[in-house]
Amino acid sequence: MVHSELSRRGFLAGLGGLGAATILGGCATGSSSSSDSASTTLTVQSSLSDADPKAALTKVVADYTKTKVTLNTIAIESFRAQLPTYLNSGNPPDVLTWYAGSVARDYASKGFLLDVSDLWTGGGACAGFSPALKQLSTATDGKQIFVPTSYYWWGLFYRKSAFQEWGVQPATTWDEFIKLCQTIKSKGVNPITMGTGSTPWVASGWFDYLNLRVNGAEFHRDLLAGKHAFDGPEVKKVMDYYRQILPFVDPKGRSYSWQDAVTPLVNKKAAMYLIGAFLTTGVPADVVDDLDFFRVPAIDPSIDVAEEAPTDGYFASAKSHNPQGTKDLLTYLASPDAQQEFIKLSKSSNLPTSPKVDTSTFSPLVQKGIKHLNETKQITQFFNRDSSDELQVTADTALTKFLDKPQDVNTILTNWQASAKKVFGS
Amino acid sequence: MTATAVDVPVAAPPRKGAGGFRRVPKVVWLFLLVPAVVEVAMVFWPALNSFYLSLTKWNGLGAAKPVGLKNFRDLLSDEVFLGALKNNVIWAVGFGGLSVLGGLALAVALNRPRRGVGLYRSAIYLPMVFSLAVTGLFWRVQYQPDGTINTLLGAVGLQSLERQWLADPTTALYAVLVAAVWRQVGYVMVLYLAGLKSTDPTLDDASAVDGAGSWQRFRYVTWPQLRGVNTVIFAVTVIDSLRTFDIVWAMTQGGPYHSSELLSTYMFQQGFTFLNLGYASAIAVVIFALAIVFIITYLVRATREEVNP
Repeated sequence: MVHSELSRRGFLAGLGGLGAATILGGCATGSSSSSDSASTTLTVQSSLSDADPKAALTKVVADYTKTKVTLNTIAIESFRAQLPTYLNSGNPPDVLTWYAGSVARDYASKGFLLDVSDLWTGGGACAGFSPALKQLSTATDGKQIFVPTSYYWWGLFYRKSAFQEWGVQPATTWDEFIKLCQTIKSKGVNPITMGTGSTPWVASGWFDYLNLRVNGAEFHRDLLAGKHAFDGPEVKKVMDYYRQILPFVDPKGRSYSWQDAVTPLVNKKAAMYLIGAFLTTGVPADVVDDLDFFRVPAIDPSIDVAEEAPTDGYFASAKSHNPQGTKDLLTYLASPDAQQEFIKLSKSSNLPTSPKVDTSTFSPLVQKGIKHLNETKQITQFFNRDSSDELQVTADTALTKFLDKPQDVNTILTNWQASAKKVFGS
Repeated sequence: MTATAVDVPVAAPPRKGAGGFRRVPKVVWLFLLVPAVVEVAMVFWPALNSFYLSLTKWNGLGAAKPVGLKNFRDLLSDEVFLGALKNNVIWAVGFGGLSVLGGLALAVALNRPRRGVGLYRSAIYLPMVFSLAVTGLFWRVQYQPDGTINTLLGAVGLQSLERQWLADPTTALYAVLVAAVWRQVGYVMVLYLAGLKSTDPTLDDASAVDGAGSWQRFRYVTWPQLRGVNTVIFAVTVIDSLRTFDIVWAMTQGGPYHSSELLSTYMFQQGFTFLNLGYASAIAVVIFALAIVFIITYLVRATREEVNP
């Protein structure tokens, strides 16, 4: 009896092993068969895991009928981690969602991205896009490797009704802005909200903007490319301005995520939030119409106005088995209709990259966003998109420490430079 | 398995050294081989690979470049790593010490059958059913600036103690530690309850009759009988404290500015955010070495005590 039980256990274990082996075998055959059929099926790997954008992309992809398309949606943190593996695998996804700028350029320099230059010339889908977008989608070797489909703007968001109650106006100069903060604070309201707890990158928003206002876009890009030092006199000057706004920042923000920090703004316990237009997805529907924004005021009038406008879109894998079909799918995704449908369904405040999209039906806030960027001379992305996720972590450490201990600014900047040097050296 | 097989009177060959092995049918070995191969291929091979990777520089793209012991030398001058190592020591002592002391105290208190004792036991064990990530999210809400803890402190007039628990570098690690112990203590309690059940109650009664106080009875009669359970709990606690990751990640992600960083969170960040897979593997090797040193030393000591008590 014991014997039979023993062998049954052994049998079950064996069965489990066999099962695992079959599954593994299934994987192996699965991948080889899918590479055979790759000419008929395209794979889109998406990091848009939030409900609305995911549903929007699903619908947009489903409307593409020329080739069968499989859409895989992966949570963004895993997607970021696995991205090199996706691109490096033997049978990579054909099209992947990601960011324009130095991140895409970095992958292109390793030879992982499909050259999509023909989409940018003649009658290609991206031919009519702005030169700034083209420059952003161009690799170091001059080829285009990215298809931008939407972007958004940053600004100082506030509630119109709240500003009315307090009898204040948006500021246009730095002195006015500081005065505005003082007035709001005197009414017992925190002038600035900023969620730097679980999303410390929010603190880089102010850093980016102050650097753009004090030193200009070119210096900012060079700084993030490692051509200037974080402990140099230019950055110290930026931190002097940053220090001026610290007394006005809601101290509880350091425990909040960017989403949590929206609540005080909505409840009129805080007045302004420097954040991207994605803010509207975190605000109750009835408050969205009450939202407005203004530009971070100029500090040095001799410097060109610069704004952050992070650009999202797609790139394709160089190893795609069906480059022609892939480009056709990208052409579809970049088309005005697909862009419009995606923006509408995803309920974001994203702007279309195609000038042919009819934006007249978009909300007044988005219309203002379009105008805001059209009046901007220089466009940057955001700290991590203009550098790397690794440099972003050095900024998070330095800036959150600075928020706590502004008097230690010199040590903080020296340490920042040391860790940035490590990032650029690796 | 072989031991049970010996008792089976089907065949009775002479009992000699490896005789037990021969009695297992060949087909069983075949079946055992399959999971063994899977285990080797899916667990041991990747684990061995990480030893190799720790001697290389690799970002997941292309081929790994051997760099010798550079990763380990860099670790020694990496302030974040040294901070994480220190935090791991604090964590191991705090997490291990508090959950063992708390678990043991609760087990002793709730060992005697009393009315409602089952309710208490279940209530204390309940947090264990939540995953660490859920525990982390739950406590993050309690620790919010306007959360339960600050509200309670304010209500009893201790406003001076209110702080931003998770955003303050001096309290963040301990705040996470409390949450982790809150969950672990029920688990340790259950292990000790099981241990206490297997002690001989007549010894306790006899020493009570002999006039031993309750502390003496616990220290000299009950405690020695818990040696087996202690070995298990020590191993479990050391392993749990070295592999702690999810709760820290859910609550602080190692922040603010690395003040609650543990080796595991730093390894994750290096490996999966920065794709420094060689460097991350070197951290993994350090974690492995620490775990194995502690556990082997303890197990060797424990088994020696069992052989010559």
